[in-house]
Amino acid sequence: MAGLSRLVTARMRPGRPGAPLTTTGLVVVVGLVVVLAFGQQYAGSVLVLAFTYAIVTTGMAVQIGFSQQIAFSQSVFMGLGAYGAALLNTHLNLPTLAAAPVVMAGSGLLALLLGSVVTRASGLALAVATIMLPLIATGYVSSAGYLGGSVGMPLAGNLWQASSPELIAAGNGVITVIALGLVVFVASRILNSDVGLELYALGVDERTAASMGISTPRRKLELFVLGSMFASLGGAVYAGTQLFVPATLVGSAAELSLLIMLFVGGRRSIIGAVAGALAVEYVSGASEWVSVNILLVEGALITVVLLVDPEGLAGIAATARARLRERRRGSGGLAEVPGPADTAGAAADAADAAGAAGAAGAGRLRVTDWAPASAPASGTGVPLLECAGVSKDYGGLHVLDAVSLTLPARGRYGLCGPNGAGKSTLLGVIGGTVSPSAGRVLLGGTDVTGLQPQQRFYLGMSRTFQAVHLITGRTVLDNVAVSCLRSQRSSLAAGIAGSRLGEARDKAAEALDYLGMRGLSGREVSSLTLESQRMVEFARAIAPRPRLLLLDEPAAGLSEPQRDRLSGVLHALGEVTCVLLVEHDLGLVAQITERIFVLDYGRLVFQGSPAEFNDSAVVNSLLIGQ
Amino acid sequence: MMKFGNLVVAGIVTGSIYAVFAVCVAVWYRVSNILNLAVGDFAMTGALGVDYLSRVENWPLPLSILATLAAVAAFGYCYDRVVLSLAQDRLRRHEGIVVTFFFTFALSFFIEGIAQILFGTNVHAAPALWPGNSLNLGGGLNIVRAGILVLACAVISGGMFALYIRYTLSGKAIEASGENYLGARIVGIDTRRYRRSIFVITALLAAIFGIVESPITGYTYISGAVISLTGFIAAAYGGFRHPARALVAGLAIGVLEALLGGYVSAEYGDTVMYAILAALVLARPRAMGFESAVSN
Repeated sequence: MAGLSRLVTARMRPGRPGAPLTTTGLVVVVGLVVVLAFGQQYAGSVLVLAFTYAIVTTGMAVQIGFSQQIAFSQSVFMGLGAYGAALLNTHLNLPTLAAAPVVMAGSGLLALLLGSVVTRASGLALAVATIMLPLIATGYVSSAGYLGGSVGMPLAGNLWQASSPELIAAGNGVITVIALGLVVFVASRILNSDVGLELYALGVDERTAASMGISTPRRKLELFVLGSMFASLGGAVYAGTQLFVPATLVGSAAELSLLIMLFVGGRRSIIGAVAGALAVEYVSGASEWVSVNILLVEGALITVVLLVDPEGLAGIAATARARLRERRRGSGGLAEVPGPADTAGAAADAADAAGAAGAAGAGRLRVTDWAPASAPASGTGVPLLECAGVSKDYGGLHVLDAVSLTLPARGRYGLCGPNGAGKSTLLGVIGGTVSPSAGRVLLGGTDVTGLQPQQRFYLGMSRTFQAVHLITGRTVLDNVAVSCLRSQRSSLAAGIAGSRLGEARDKAAEALDYLGMRGLSGREVSSLTLESQRMVEFARAIAPRPRLLLLDEPAAGLSEPQRDRLSGVLHALGEVTCVLLVEHDLGLVAQITERIFVLDYGRLVFQGSPAEFNDSAVVNSLLIGQ
Repeated sequence: MMKFGNLVVAGIVTGSIYAVFAVCVAVWYRVSNILNLAVGDFAMTGALGVDYLSRVENWPLPLSILATLAAVAAFGYCYDRVVLSLAQDRLRRHEGIVVTFFFTFALSFFIEGIAQILFGTNVHAAPALWPGNSLNLGGGLNIVRAGILVLACAVISGGMFALYIRYTLSGKAIEASGENYLGARIVGIDTRRYRRSIFVITALLAAIFGIVESPITGYTYISGAVISLTGFIAAAYGGFRHPARALVAGLAIGVLEALLGGYVSAEYGDTVMYAILAALVLARPRAMGFESAVSN
């Protein structure tokens, strides 16, 4: 029993994907045992219902939990699956089991159509746009006579046809568990693959994900289709086990109960999503009083669980397990505790820094190693980057005013200016996250003004942002590997078939080696100090070997030794590639760069060498205040 | 033409219901970055509480109203002190979608559960505050008396919040709390106090509104959820942070709903309206104020 509980908590740890086979095996074995043991009792029917909902919540964990795409469309597709199976069974005499794949395919198609419109929105806009879907569906279902109106629709076909009620109940239960096992397997295969790592990145921040070459619109659409297909499978199973499709299966209340299951269980854990469905269904069937006062109970339940841990039951189990291990091993186990454990982090960082004392030197030695990967030797005389008359207005505010600058294929360039001068906006325009009001951006002679950040990434552009955006729950190695995936042509389905994560991890390891950070590669990122996290971001930016590296305040928050390391690395990189950095530390800029641009009120007021920069009256009055 | 006019009048009355809740959602989101999806439940509590005390317990109407409002305020205060303090004021704050949606979802469920036990499941309404037949506005236009109170309530509360945020020092402080919680605390703004007081004020406002409005529609223990949802949608079209825009959006949704119900189909009117609203978000997210609501 102790072994089982260890297995459960290990699989439940939020944020980390469990190994697909163990996770699936666990769900199927436990599911079969309980269904066969309690199948003939009242508890058995509650369990089967819970497993049915778990099919839906597993899809939600991938879509809403890991990828942070908050779409309120699950109950609609669950309803579609249930009504679809009921209609096919009643009118075409199709067995419910055979109807399930049909309705899944239908839902997939509909989700593709609907999703290609809906998933253009992101964040709260996506939530608001999709919250209309259950409202529209309820309106339709409750007045559609052929679906049984506001009552619902009965059907005759069990999932499993047999002669005795006992066999039917057992067969229904087994099929439900197998369907759940299938869904869990697919979900954890995806999360473990290279495409899955992209989904994690999408969950951190869409803009950052796009700048690392992730085709965010495509992934969002695929997620929508996946979640919808799982939901419709859940619906078909519901119809085939309950033999009645209530109109309340669709709607905002149903949507909420599904979300409550997900959040009680733990949104970033597959096993958690299953456990949440079980917990909520078990509690609601526990007694007469509870089922009458279900609203009160659910309200109190979710408040308490989320107060204890925002990652739900999965988070609670993981913390409990970490505590237990800590007690068993003494303080030595601290490094394994997920969450901010800065003391351990600092110790490891110090050890790492000592080991990498000569990182800058090492970088200089192996300078030719870091030549850009995609280096179509741009024709002589063609600059690498050219901004021509770039302007950006927000309403009446001119943030950038006809800025023109050119950068050659190699070298280190600095962009300075007072706060609000437009430095980050210019970096955004070059990187593709901000679209200019006027002007053009050319990369190696090609006009990229209209291209998305992910398209520019594949042309050899890579960047860091001011704020740290790392994937918590994954290792340093995986965080760096995100930018080496090159999975833009893979689909989620390819993620089920196999993973190309290995290659990306090899490239990431090279980058970490280059920066002398190999010692950190197995660490979970949230256990690192802020400066190490920044260095991980930097490693992620250089790992794909870009032609143009855009850095937004790379030295902010770094310690003196790390600053030196960074400047050594930048020196080396500048020999083979083009580096443009925005930086407030003027000493660092003058020390590292060979040419400096100064922005003020959106205009380029100075450009020249560090020596000219130091002597310039304009620069002194602007930046130093003399 | 008369039909059109009456539909618009009815739409404005319904719209002002949405508008008030949208204003409540927007103002509190501005302070706390939490979407309050329990506002509708405070309205329901107000209406059913007054009904219960005056009709079943035979208390005089003014006393019933005062007692109900006091209960709502006390509950709001305790909820903030216990749940929100635990969720927000500890060392590790809850951030993101969990806070944005779930704590107040849960609160909504909780209040509805209590209301079910206290008030039962039938439709009730507080006694009308301004009894009498519909007023004739001339030209065949009619408006229910409670509707005038509702509209007045909406305009006054929305306008006051907008002026408050724009022109007073504490209004600015509220804005700062929502923009940057930690930064606001560092410059000496007691974000917790603002969060708590605005929460209690919006709960009271919603309760008063429920009392005024309930004679028109009648409430059950689950009526609050629908109102909160529409208020949430209206607030979304106002960019979640702007009470004045939320007010306008609420009114517009009400009029649209009435016109669709009157001219398109009584049965599918709402369905069409939600489809139009969804299309608007997708076609013009920026113009609808969504970019500013998404904080990265």
